[in-house]
This record gives sequence, structure tokens and C-alpha cells, in this order.
Amino acid sequence: MAGGQERILRRRIKSVQSTRKITKAMELIAASQISRSQARIVANRPYRNGMRRIIVEAAKADPAGAAKLLAMPEHVETAIVLVLTGDRGLSGAYNSSAMRAGERLVRKLEGEGSAVRLYSVGKKAGAFYRFRGIDVAEGFVGMSDRPTFDDARRIAATVAAPFIAGEAQQVLLVSTRFLSAATQSVEVEQLLPLSLPALPEDGTPTGLKGYTEFEPEVEQLLITLAPKALESEIFSALLEGAASFHVSQQRAMAAATDNADELGQNLSRIMNRARQDSITTEIMEIVGGAEALRSGK
Amino acid sequence: MSTLKVEIVTPEAPLWVGEATALVARSSEGWFTVLPQHMDMVGDVVPSVVRVDTLEGEIAIAVHGGFFQVGPGEGEEETLATVLAGIAEKVSEIDVARAQAAKDSAEAEIAADSRNERETTTSVMARAALERAELRLSAAKA
Repeated sequence: MAGGQERILRRRIKSVQSTRKITKAMELIAASQISRSQARIVANRPYRNGMRRIIVEAAKADPAGAAKLLAMPEHVETAIVLVLTGDRGLSGAYNSSAMRAGERLVRKLEGEGSAVRLYSVGKKAGAFYRFRGIDVAEGFVGMSDRPTFDDARRIAATVAAPFIAGEAQQVLLVSTRFLSAATQSVEVEQLLPLSLPALPEDGTPTGLKGYTEFEPEVEQLLITLAPKALESEIFSALLEGAASFHVSQQRAMAAATDNADELGQNLSRIMNRARQDSITTEIMEIVGGAEALRSGK
Repeated sequence: MSTLKVEIVTPEAPLWVGEATALVARSSEGWFTVLPQHMDMVGDVVPSVVRVDTLEGEIAIAVHGGFFQVGPGEGEEETLATVLAGIAEKVSEIDVARAQAAKDSAEAEIAADSRNERETTTSVMARAALERAELRLSAAKA
């Protein structure tokens, strides 16, 4: 009886230890991916900032054209929501907080009387929204770990098409922004109509000389610029999402490894006590038997 | 001394950053040259080979479409010219065999797709790939 319990405990300890090996390995892999994905964010920054500077420059030069391109329509008949999640789980709240923020946004838009068309990046989102009765118009998978600019381009073309065709009046993005290695937060941003980015104050001064020449004319330039700016914004969001995912996974797996350590310790304590118990019982039985024999003599 | 700083930037990473004496590129309105002290300018870059002249020689970079901005740089006398390109590569690093293969497969795709009445996404992508391959080949030959 007692020996049986010991065997069961030993088996459980073994399984906890092998789980711990997996979580530890995932923790290390995620940690190595963090620095790589962070480096990609840094490498992307000059492009993103340059793109934003040009948009601001063009908008300043042609306020009327920019207003047409950037103005919010009075009534949003159909809104497009793009939710960025990961392809893999075991990453703490990374996927679920973005998906839940997306769901809240959809409900809010529907409450305001807009129809919503939902696009998603990441495998997890499809099942989540299907379960909640929200249709996913198209889901992009297989790119969230190492997004390429081509991926961003494809997504941009897909979400912009209904906007250009006039079927939708607004495109919103729900994604996890990588503020620093310690903080990431889920944010909702408007992609289309383009929202004018706030320039960092310490950035290069623009248009100091007061006059900027445009080639081609600024009206024309704004039209070709808009889709490229959209691609750039989506690409940055993809990169920040990937980095946030890895940070989140590393943190979750570190916690899981700690838990496994603790669980293993507790179990081996219980197992040792069980073994000690069974030894004590055995000795008691032997002593008891010997006593009985002696007194029976 | 007035100087010119040139940045050729792609979304993945800055491709070339450094001091230059001149930048020659082509916008939709024609070729233009940026020298130090150039006036502020913003525009597009059509697929072409952008040339950066430096004291050590010239660098040719194939730019597959993008935008540029010329403005004041960090220093007093510095002019900053930034070229933003979705795809760009140094001409010296172009793989001719690969570009030729890409050209052939793009042409095949377009031919296969031409039976469809309406233009499909594949053929739009293939046409873009063909344009890139052709620019690479002509840049490598020059």
C-alpha cells in the first residue's frame, strides 16, 4: 500500500521534471529571440521616422489635400479592424489581451451603429472570434514570429482595398506596442484615414528654411505616399508585436519553470515522508512480530 | 565646410549611411542631383539606380521605388538627404543568375495568367517581380 503511493509520487516527479525541461528550453529560446526582434525594431526606426517626416512635410505644404486624405468621415458605415496576435500560445496574456481588446472595440463600433469587418494576424485569433460569433474576413498566419516587409505589404493591400473602393470608411489596428523591454501595452490606432504622426521633439528640424520643393507636385505625392505610409506603419506594428510576443513568452515560461521547481520540491518532500513512513511501519511490524514470538514462547 | 550626409534606408535596416559629395537619383519628374546646401525638397524615387558620390568613389544602389527628403542635418552646415525604399540593394551585391531566374519565372507566370480575363493578384505580383528583376539585370550590366 505505502510502496504504491511512493511509486505514484516518483512518476509525478519525473513528469514535472520533464515539463520543467521544456519550459526552461522555451524560456531560453524566447530570451534569445527578444534581443533579435528588438534589434529589428531599432533597424526599422529610421525608415518609419523618415516616412512620418515626409508625410508631415507634405501635409504642411498642402493642408487642403491632406485634409481630404486625412479627414474622418462624419459617419462610419463600415469599419475595418485588424487585430495582431501571435501564431503560438504559451505566452502569458499576449494573445488574449490583444484579442479581447479587439473584441471590445468591435462591440463598441457595433454599438455606434457601424458594421465591422475583422482581419487578424496570428493563428489564435480565428478560433477565438469564431467562438464569440464574430466573423474573421481573412486571417494571416505564419508570419508573426519573423515578419517581413512583404508580409506587411500584403496585409496593407488587403485592408486598404475596401477602404479605397469606398466600402469602408475607417481602418483600425489593435496591436501590442513594444514600449520597452519591461512594458508592452495593447493599443488601438487608426490606420486609415492616415492619422498624422506626432513627431519626436528631438527629431531633425524640418523645413527650417521655410520653403520645400516637391517633386512631383504635393497633391500627387500625397496620393502615392499614403499606401507606403500604411505599409510602413503595419510593418512597425508587426515588428513590435513579435518582440512583445517573445518577451511575454519568456516571462510566462520563466514563471512556469519556477512553478515546476516548487512543485517538484513539494512532491519529493511528500515522497520522502511516504518512504520514511513505510520503513517505520515495516520496522514496527518486525519488532511487533518478534515481540509476539517471544511472549508466545 | 558644408557637408552632405546621405542615408539610404529600407524598412529592414539602413542600407547605406555616410558622408557624400553628391547624390544622383531619379524622381517621376526626371533625374536630379543633390549637393551640399541643396534646398529642402521632398519627392518620389522611381525604380532606378541611385548613385552616391563619396570621396572614396561612387556607390551604385538599385532602388525599387521609394521617396526622398532633403533637409537640414544635425550640424550647422550639414545637409541631410534621405532615400526611403521598400526594396533596395547595392549594385555590387546583385546576383545576376538569381535575377535572371526571377525574370524567367515572372515572365512564365504572367504568360500563364494572361488567359484570365481579369488581372489577378498573382500577375500583379509577378509584374512587380519582373520589374525588379529587369532593374537588377540592367543595373548589374551597366
